Amino acid sequence: MTNAVIAGYVRSPFTPARKGALAKVRPDDLAAQVVKGLVEKTGIDPNAIEDLILGCAFPEGEQGFNVARLVTFIAGLPRSVAGVTVNRFCGSSMQSIHQAAGAIAIGAGEAFICAGVESMTRVPMMGFNPLPNPVLYKAMPEAYMGMGDTAENVAAKYGLSRADQEAFAVESHKRAANAQAAGKFVDEIIPIQTKDGIVSEDGCIRGETTAEGLADLKPAFKADGVVTAGTSSPLTDGASAVLVCSEEFAAKNGLTPLARIKSVAVDGCLPEIMGIGPVGASKKALARAGLTSADIDVTELNEAFSSQALASISDLGLDVAKVNIDGGALAIGHPLGATGARIVGKAASILKRDGGKYALASQCIGGGQGIATILEAM
Amino acid sequence: MTTIKQVAVIGAGVMGAGIAAHIANSGTPVLLLDIVPEGAKNRNAVAEGAVAKMLKTDPAPFMSKRVAKLITCGNIEDDLDKIAKCDWIIEAVIERLDIKQDLYRKIDAVRAKGSVVSSNTSTIPLATLIGGMDDSFAKDFIITHFFNPPRYMRLLELVGSGATRDGVIDMVADFADRKLGKTCVTCHDEPGFIANRLGVYWIQVAMVEAIDRKLTVEEADSVIGRPFGIPKTGVFGLMDLVGLDLMPHVQSSMAGLLDKSDPFHAIYRESELVSKLIADGYTGRKGKGGFYRLNREGGEKIKESVDLQTGEFSKSEKARLGSVKAAGKDPRKMMEASDKGGQYGRAVMAKTLAYAAFIAESAANSITDVDDAMKLGYAWKTGPFELIDAIGVDALISMLEEDGVEVPALLQKAAGKSFYKVEDGDLYFLGFEGSYAKIARPDGVLLLEDIKRKSEPVAGNRAASLWDIGDGVACLEFHTKMNALDADVLGAIKTSIRTVKKQFKAMVIYNEASNFSAGANLGLALFAANIAAWPEIENLVETGQETYKALKYSPFPVVGAPSGLALGGGCEVLLHCDAVQAHGETYIGLVEPGVGLIPAWGGCKEMIRRWAENPKFVKGPMAPSAKAFEIISVATVAKSAMEAKENLFFRESDGITMNRNRLLADAKERALSMVDGYEAPEEFTYRLPGEAARVAFEMAVDGFHRLGKATDYDRVVAGELAKVLAGGDTDVTEELSEDDILELEREGFMRLVRNEGTMARVEHMLFTGKPLRN
Repeated sequence: MTNAVIAGYVRSPFTPARKGALAKVRPDDLAAQVVKGLVEKTGIDPNAIEDLILGCAFPEGEQGFNVARLVTFIAGLPRSVAGVTVNRFCGSSMQSIHQAAGAIAIGAGEAFICAGVESMTRVPMMGFNPLPNPVLYKAMPEAYMGMGDTAENVAAKYGLSRADQEAFAVESHKRAANAQAAGKFVDEIIPIQTKDGIVSEDGCIRGETTAEGLADLKPAFKADGVVTAGTSSPLTDGASAVLVCSEEFAAKNGLTPLARIKSVAVDGCLPEIMGIGPVGASKKALARAGLTSADIDVTELNEAFSSQALASISDLGLDVAKVNIDGGALAIGHPLGATGARIVGKAASILKRDGGKYALASQCIGGGQGIATILEAM
Repeated sequence: MTTIKQVAVIGAGVMGAGIAAHIANSGTPVLLLDIVPEGAKNRNAVAEGAVAKMLKTDPAPFMSKRVAKLITCGNIEDDLDKIAKCDWIIEAVIERLDIKQDLYRKIDAVRAKGSVVSSNTSTIPLATLIGGMDDSFAKDFIITHFFNPPRYMRLLELVGSGATRDGVIDMVADFADRKLGKTCVTCHDEPGFIANRLGVYWIQVAMVEAIDRKLTVEEADSVIGRPFGIPKTGVFGLMDLVGLDLMPHVQSSMAGLLDKSDPFHAIYRESELVSKLIADGYTGRKGKGGFYRLNREGGEKIKESVDLQTGEFSKSEKARLGSVKAAGKDPRKMMEASDKGGQYGRAVMAKTLAYAAFIAESAANSITDVDDAMKLGYAWKTGPFELIDAIGVDALISMLEEDGVEVPALLQKAAGKSFYKVEDGDLYFLGFEGSYAKIARPDGVLLLEDIKRKSEPVAGNRAASLWDIGDGVACLEFHTKMNALDADVLGAIKTSIRTVKKQFKAMVIYNEASNFSAGANLGLALFAANIAAWPEIENLVETGQETYKALKYSPFPVVGAPSGLALGGGCEVLLHCDAVQAHGETYIGLVEPGVGLIPAWGGCKEMIRRWAENPKFVKGPMAPSAKAFEIISVATVAKSAMEAKENLFFRESDGITMNRNRLLADAKERALSMVDGYEAPEEFTYRLPGEAARVAFEMAVDGFHRLGKATDYDRVVAGELAKVLAGGDTDVTEELSEDDILELEREGFMRLVRNEGTMARVEHMLFTGKPLRN
């Protein structure tokens, strides 16, 4: 089997939906600038790229058609580069990495751009025309359950207090703000050209967030609930991309691999507690890699909500100090389709930057799923 | 005439900012400047803060949040030169002559030649303001006195001087009339001009008499309210609204400025009670309360009022004066009643009306201006001279003589006559010299009240009438209580359609009540439901559907011209018009869910169509229904004609008239413009998503229910609305006609009207005026 490596990672700034600096940027344009940035940064010969695999959670409107193929055109890639749009909701762009690794393993290509995009400003969550199946809804309403409600369910099931969730969110903002101040995002961010100028800074991070401030917020999903806007990831606009290629290809073409893909997994769970999706998926991926959570030095766990992140950390027995050391989605933001590639790219970058042997990137997925990737330092 | 294209307002306090917001409402760019706060990082903080605050204020100073962009904020130190581009510069800074004149000199140095400068002062005479200023400045300077809140109060008092250049007043008045919707009253340079001169006297006398006669504030407000056509806030409620702390300042300034012979001095005295209330922080509604307060101790909100004798607060007790009940809306009956209410009413209003007659000639150009000032500046339903006519000039004179109050010369001139009279359908007013003059309306002002005085309806019944307003246009007027819609109104609409078809070219639906229509008559609906008259109810629903549809497809243009509330069925009738020419202050919505019902006179049908046909809106089978659901399920009311366009209650092409008095003329013109080549609209074919949409809507409502924002019965009502907007059990491959949607509306309505939850809502609304959250 041919090994796949992560040989580059970039993303756009992540900015708040509607009010943020990227609100007026079309998602296809946004993704194209990021993809172009990745090609330039890694120095890969674009003619060698087999496919652009682009994750998107609501591939309609400006994210519609086969947006991946269109992005290859906008980014100025050669016509020979194919494009496929992938949807596994929040796991979409991690899925794109898994598909590339699988393709490389069976000799179906050597180099892939695995990207993700979501403009939550321009294509609303649920899309423009949500048409649930009435029969399924009647039989199984949880199939369509809102994410906030699942976060409440997880909080209840795991007995997570509001204060615990808020402390976790404060820490996420603190870590992200520190990383930002230390210039740790500069390398990964591709400045985006907009009609109103260049945007190069993240817009969601609030280093000044305090537990007291969060305690004043009203519950966001249930009158007597414990989940608030402060303990939910913000609606975000953003795009991300990683270069996935075979180890040989990287060596032959003078690329600098960040990490090797050791194992991957997806796993289904109950939709009403979709937030614990990372538990099953990570356990599978660890088993496939012959590892335990104790072997993991770097974890990037998507923070869709404080409650699900805390529950997953607890069930997986992870060391909180090693989880999301540069902050997580509560602070940085969660443009649905773009998050998977960001956290895999981030985990690989941290392995390279800070050392360590193994990294885990994992996230929960609406509808009741989890997805996980284990990376190995090179 | 020079037109005003850009305006500057200097001073971003409540008045200045409010004026700027209303100028922005007219679509005119406006510069808002204030001082640089000491040590401020943001030098525009005051003006910017004022705009930010106004975006959150209710009632909203802005007609749409979008117009706030027309305000450019700045500060006097850095941005004063920008006023060079402004045609009108309004000063609204603190009432201090030195500060104002210092600012005028700075303004004069940079303003464009021919620009107008005005002050919003309410206490400093024009002569004082221009004293010592250059002639060139005095020529372009006037007082423009707006009332608070500037968007809602229709009065604008204008004061010029002998030095004022020709055309200055006209230029500002024309802009204020057409663009700001104001009725401009030209006043003489007298203290308090007209409205406050009389208003301050009235408040003072009402307060003093209430204390002396030992009335409660509730009793006083009940007397000086409905019987005289005065808003139910009366005097004490009004002071709470205006701010108690303003009163001593205004009153002492008035006492200082008025001639010693002025009757004001006889009733003026400083109130210890008011001073104490202010000192204790009871500055009115903006503070912790005033004469009335809400006591929140113990978790409940209890309305309390102050005892005028002791200054102590206790639970507010509703006034129960027999005289008030007996008087109804009759001011004379109120003043002639023998109880303490009657004595109080007479003491206050006889003096106040006499004072109106006393000041009229020195303060105003005519008695109509005095009446307009009180109607539009103090929201009196009838002006003081109209009130005198209602009481009877001679009756008032006798009361004054009996009470030992001097009878003013103007009142003596009117003895044996009235201040207004109608002759051959024309309205005349009594001039100061003692002869009558015809009231002339300005160009572009057409009032139904004038037409009604001179003619008989072409068709109609007890509920609505059809009038010939000239040039081949008919005007359908509703005239039920609150213009509630019932079978008679529907009948009149049907008759009107037949009549207009035969005799006219176009029809306007318009009336001159405060509200276009509050919707269907709920009282009747409740009665019918209580006796289980289901077939009758269903028949009324069906008749309404047929009637509105007939209106929509009639072979002539129909223009709706609403002002004030247009709710429920009142909104639906407008949705079926070919075009709407709306007063800027129109408040429209499909509020049926508030009383446990759904729009069933075609409101659902028309809203889906409007969103489906909107080229700027997202496509797909779900989007139009989803938008209609979002708007109707929470009973959204657009708080201006501008907002109504954002919700598509009005179309982008519909017109907005800012001045209430110009509405009918504008609507008529619009109707006439549509006559040539008019073709009725084509029937719309609906393609709706069916069950899947209903499920999606219910999911959304369930989310709000969990969040505590939707009640149990909201879910039931929203469920029925969801069925209609989804198109029932249709499939996306199928087409539905307008009648199919109407049938869905009717079925849903009938299921709800039979539900106790709906009846509880209707009953609660009828008895409390507020929605029940069951």
